[in-house]
Parts: sequence; structure tokens; C-alpha cells
Amino acid sequence: MDFDLLQRYGPALLRGLLVTLEIVGLSLAIGGLLAIPLALARTSAVPLLRWPALAYIFFFRGTPLLAQTFLIYYGAGQFAQELRATSVDLGLFSVGLWDIFGQAYWCAIITFSLNTAAYTAEILRGGIQGVAGGEIEAARALGMSRGLILRRVVLPGAYRIALPAYGNEIILMVKGSAIASVITIYDLMGETKLAFSRSFDFAIYLYAAVIYFLLTWTITLAWARLEDWTNPQRRPPPDK
Amino acid sequence: MEAAAEPGTIAYYLDLLRIGDQGWGDELLAGLLLTLQLALCSVALGLVFGLAGAAAKVSSAWPLRALGGAYTTTIRGIPELLTLFLIYYGLQYAIQALFGLFGGSGPVAVNGFAAGVVALSLVFGAYATEVFRGAILAVPRGQMEAARALGMARSVAVRRILVPQMWRFALPGLGNLWLVLIKDTSLVSVIAFSELMRQTDVARRVTKEPFFFFAVACLGYLAITGISTLVLGWAERRAGRGVRRA
Amino acid sequence: MAATLDVRDIHKRFGALEVLKGISLTANQGDVISLIGASGSGKSTFLRCINLLETPDEGEVRVDGELIRMVVRGGRVKPADPVQVDRIRARLGMVFQSFNLWPHRTVLGNVIEAPVHVLKKPRNEAIDQAMALLDKVGLAAKRDFYPAQLSGGQQQRVAIARALAMEPLVLLFDEPTSALDPELVGEVLKVMQDQAGEGRTMVVVTHEMAFARDVSTRVMFLHQGRVDEDGPPSEVFRAPRSERCRQFLAKLL
Repeated sequence: MDFDLLQRYGPALLRGLLVTLEIVGLSLAIGGLLAIPLALARTSAVPLLRWPALAYIFFFRGTPLLAQTFLIYYGAGQFAQELRATSVDLGLFSVGLWDIFGQAYWCAIITFSLNTAAYTAEILRGGIQGVAGGEIEAARALGMSRGLILRRVVLPGAYRIALPAYGNEIILMVKGSAIASVITIYDLMGETKLAFSRSFDFAIYLYAAVIYFLLTWTITLAWARLEDWTNPQRRPPPDK
Repeated sequence: MEAAAEPGTIAYYLDLLRIGDQGWGDELLAGLLLTLQLALCSVALGLVFGLAGAAAKVSSAWPLRALGGAYTTTIRGIPELLTLFLIYYGLQYAIQALFGLFGGSGPVAVNGFAAGVVALSLVFGAYATEVFRGAILAVPRGQMEAARALGMARSVAVRRILVPQMWRFALPGLGNLWLVLIKDTSLVSVIAFSELMRQTDVARRVTKEPFFFFAVACLGYLAITGISTLVLGWAERRAGRGVRRA
Repeated sequence: MAATLDVRDIHKRFGALEVLKGISLTANQGDVISLIGASGSGKSTFLRCINLLETPDEGEVRVDGELIRMVVRGGRVKPADPVQVDRIRARLGMVFQSFNLWPHRTVLGNVIEAPVHVLKKPRNEAIDQAMALLDKVGLAAKRDFYPAQLSGGQQQRVAIARALAMEPLVLLFDEPTSALDPELVGEVLKVMQDQAGEGRTMVVVTHEMAFARDVSTRVMFLHQGRVDEDGPPSEVFRAPRSERCRQFLAKLL
């Protein structure tokens, strides 16, 4: 191991790791929130809700994340003038659109959020449709309203069914986030490329690989624990 | 020469997509073609990796199982983009070192296409390993037992009984991997290989019309993934022939 | 005084197939009515029409004198007021063939879910009541188990407790023992018999002829969507007037 190299670039790589975690965390949070209405629209019986949701999901799952990132990042640059002139009033304060779209960081988060929302919506849809018909029927027979059934029976069941697939989505998002480096963001991948361009030491890529691997490995293990925790019915019965 | 159309009009955008010196249509199509070539070569090599990986993982020899496990967990745990860089620069250093042994010197440039195919097929193969492994386990145990009971050698039984049935279980998973692969080819643009994404990037630099060109590129990918989805659906139905549905 | 349950002239079609061709049923307080017949005779569909899990194409359902209002919208019959349907369902307990317990809630959680969230009962009160009911079906010790950790017979007893927790006017049973292993049937029938003994109004779709004969106050034999035989069990089992009913019983007894 080249300790000199690690000493020189290690801190930069860890800074990059923090940026990666930030981008992934924010994107998953925003995308997760967007996914719920999207999945409900996708499973809706109303064509006016279902079709736009289908088109959205088809686009974001059918095109490369890199192309989506370029579309939003460079696309926003093309409309800089219009974006500069527009601001959104959020009650307490207003945000100029250029303050968001002018920054690569936020462009990446927006793209990743929209992207993961599409995948998450499909995962949720699988969960919603996986809830057994009999469980819903029992709720109806007890006089539960549609909203109550959705909240108390369908969504809790759907989340449990969707959990393993969503774990995969988190891993894919972590790995996909390396694309942020292509639009000048110094996430873990960006810092790695910078360090390589200065040192021309191939080992730097191996270090980055180890860090990414440890990150995804940790998430995989943590997720398996979470699945156990949220599926108490799989545990052995209590002593009695 | 005819007058250029006013920017912002439909005629202007159609001009941008023309085939020939004036427009970018031919460049983009050439990029699309390279994207497809890249994907097809990677899937061919990737299937080999996948079959070898699955064979290793279901093998009775533990070193093979460990090797298969290490391959899939490592590749699946690091970003595709990083894998690409590792292969691209790694190949350069390896070849340079090899040259050095024979007294050669000087920098070596690795062909972007070759690096792309190796990286993408390694990724495809890692995921395909899991698909094949699952498919092998999905074939009922009794099928192999019946073949062995009839006196078939293990290798014959695998080839004649296991593999033909395995494909049906593997097809949906492989289909998904193909769609992922198509999208991953875009990453190869970052090592200056002129597939669709790279050509689009060149076009937007020259024309200052990024939104339009990236939208067109997206349509190109959608066309491939859309057609692939239709073909895969057809193939799955075909592969399911003779199987009673519950 | 109005009948507890008054169902009149129910018709139900699935596409071209007419499954129910005009079935009526009146249950007064304390009646235990068994619906018997071959599979495909329409008895389960009829039961599901009573609490509108299936929407009848024609006919009326009255619960405690209150008519469930229907409208025709877009060429299809629908309940006029979903809130009314939910309210009435809350007063009709239903026990399913496949239990349909919610796998993500404990035994206790299954039983208190609807009292807390539909009847808006205080949680403590719901728990006290649920424990009394679980005690009655012999499962108080399993309150913290999940459905997957119970046998089929135990699950069905929990499902009965879940229905009873709503203090229903009528209990509807849809072949409650058909999905059970033979050795587990008895414990469920025992609970049902106890309920009948307490004067609970029940409508039971069943293949358990001994239950129909010994516990019910009235037996209806359905054949091809019509009531073919209807009377007290002593008459139906001893001297059925309908030839088809005679054949059906001869095969089973």
C-alpha cells in the first residue's frame, strides 16, 4: 500500500464520499416522496392519471441517467436567461430558479430524484399489486373506507413487499451517482478523477473502488437487518 | 446554398438533423450504430462471463464458488463508471507493462471500443451470473434426477436437460439486463468513444442547442429500449410455449 | 319490528352467466341459517351480495330495516352512497374461507384494527374487548403472535374474533372450514356453535352437514342460482321435497 498517496489524497476522497452521501440521500428522499403519488397514479383506473404516469416512468426508465443529467444540466444552461428572470415564491422566501438550475449540484439532485422516483414508483406498484386481494376484502367487509384501507392495509403491505427491491434501488442510486462527476461535481468519483489527473497513479482508482464497495456492502447488510426488523411475522413466535 | 432557417423554428431544428455536411443526422445515426455494436459485442461476451460465473457458483468445488462470489459481489458493488475507468486505465498500464518486458517503451493508447466492451460485459456478466444461477435452481431437481436415472452422464444431462429448460427461467432477467446494458453504453462516451452520447455532446457544443440534442438522444435510446421490450415480450411468450400457465 | 336482515330477490350476472336468479332471505334475531348446495350453486356469491362485496344487479338488501340504496350509473348498478355501505358493512361481520388475516399485524392488532379505526373506539377499550373475545375463542395466549405463526384453525378463530369485535348484528360465514385440515375443523365449528348458543344471528355457507343439521334453525338448499329447498333442518334432512336436494344430501351423508 502506498501510504504517501493515501495521505495526500485520502482526505479529498473522504470529502468526495460525503458529497456522494449527500447527493444520494437527498435524491432518495425527494424521489421517494414523488414516487408515492406517481405509483398511485400508475395504478389508478382513471386514464387521465395513469397515462401521464406511464409516460413519465417509460421515459426515465428507458433512457440513460447520463443523458438525463446532460439534458437537465446543459439544457438549463441554454435557458439561463429565462431561468434568471423567474423565481418561485415559497411564502417565507423566494427562490430564483437560476439559483437552483445554475448549479451542477442541484441539477444532479433534481435529475437523480426524478430518475429514482420512476424506478421507485414501479417498485411500489409491484408492492401495491402484491397485497393479497383477501386482505383488502376483509378490510372492506369490516366497513373500512377506501382511504383507510390504503393507509392501514395496502401501503403497509406494499412497503414490506417492496423493501428488498428498494434496497437494490438504493445501491443502484449510489453507483449511478458517480455520473455527477461528469458535470463537474466533486463527489467521490470526481475527487478520484482529480487525484488521478494529478498523480497519474492507477492505485487511486482501486482505492475509490474499495470505498464504493464498502459503502454498498454496508448498505446491503443494513438493509437486510431492516427487512428482518420490519417483518416481525417472519420471526419465531414469542415464548409462551 | 439555401438560406438557413430562423433559429427556434421547426424548420431550423429539422435542418439540424439533416443528413450531410449541414446537419447532424448522419453523425447521430453513426453514433447510434456504434452504441448498438457496443451493446451487442458486450452482451455476447457478457453471456459467456455469466454462464462461467453461474457454473462456478453452483460448482461443488469451493474455490470456484468463492471465485464466482468474489466476481459478482465486487462488480455489483462499485459504480459502472468506475469499472470503466479501471478497465480503461488498467488495460493501458497492463499493456505498457507487457511492452516493457519486451523492451518496448512509450505510452500505449487503448481502443475505447475494446475497453468499453470489456467493462460492460464484465458488468453484464456479474448480474447475468445471478440470473443464470437462479434459473438453474428453478429447474425442478427431479428433471436432473430423471435424466441421471436413465443413465445419462452428468455432463450430458446438464447439456440436454438442464440448459434448455434454464433459458426459459433466465429470459426475463436477461431481458432486463439488456435494457440496463443499452443505457450503460452511454457511459463509454466519457472515455471519448464516439457512440450516440458522445456524438450528441459534440453536436450540442457546436450548435449551442443542448436541450434539443439531448432530447433527440433520449428518443434514440427510447427507440432501442422500446423495440427491445417488444421483442423480449415476444421471445418470452415463445419460450413459454408448452408450459401450462396457472 | 324489522327483520335483522332482509334480502329480497337478488339477481347477479357475470357476463352472460346468471349466477343468482332471484334469491331472498330473511333472518330474525337469533336465526342461524345454513346455505348448502353444490359448488357453483351461487351460495357464496349470494353471501357476498349481502354485504356488497359483490354488487347485485337486482334486488334489495335491508339491514335492521335500513335499505342499502343503489343507483344505475354508466349502465352499471352501484351503491348510491359508499359511506352508507361502509357503515352497514361495519355491522355485518364476515368470516372468509381463507381467513384473510392481515399478515403484518399481530393477533391482537388484527382484532382491534377496525374497532379503533372504523368505530373510533379508544384503544384501551378495544384491547380489553379484544382480549375478552380472544379468551372466548381460546387464543388469549397468542395475542402477540403473527398470523403466519398460527395454525389454520387458530387463524380462523382469530378471524371470528376480529368479526365479533365489531359487535355485528349478523355474522356471515363463507365456507369457514373448507380451507382447514380435517383435524382443525372441530375447533372452529365449536366456536361457531358457541356463538349460535349465545343467540348470535348467523348466515353460514357450509359443506359441514352435521353443523347445518344440528346447529342451524333453518337450512336453504341452493341449486343453479335458485332456492330449491327451504325449511327447518329436521324437515330438510329427513324429508326433502326437492329431488335434487335429496340426491345432494344422499351423496354427503
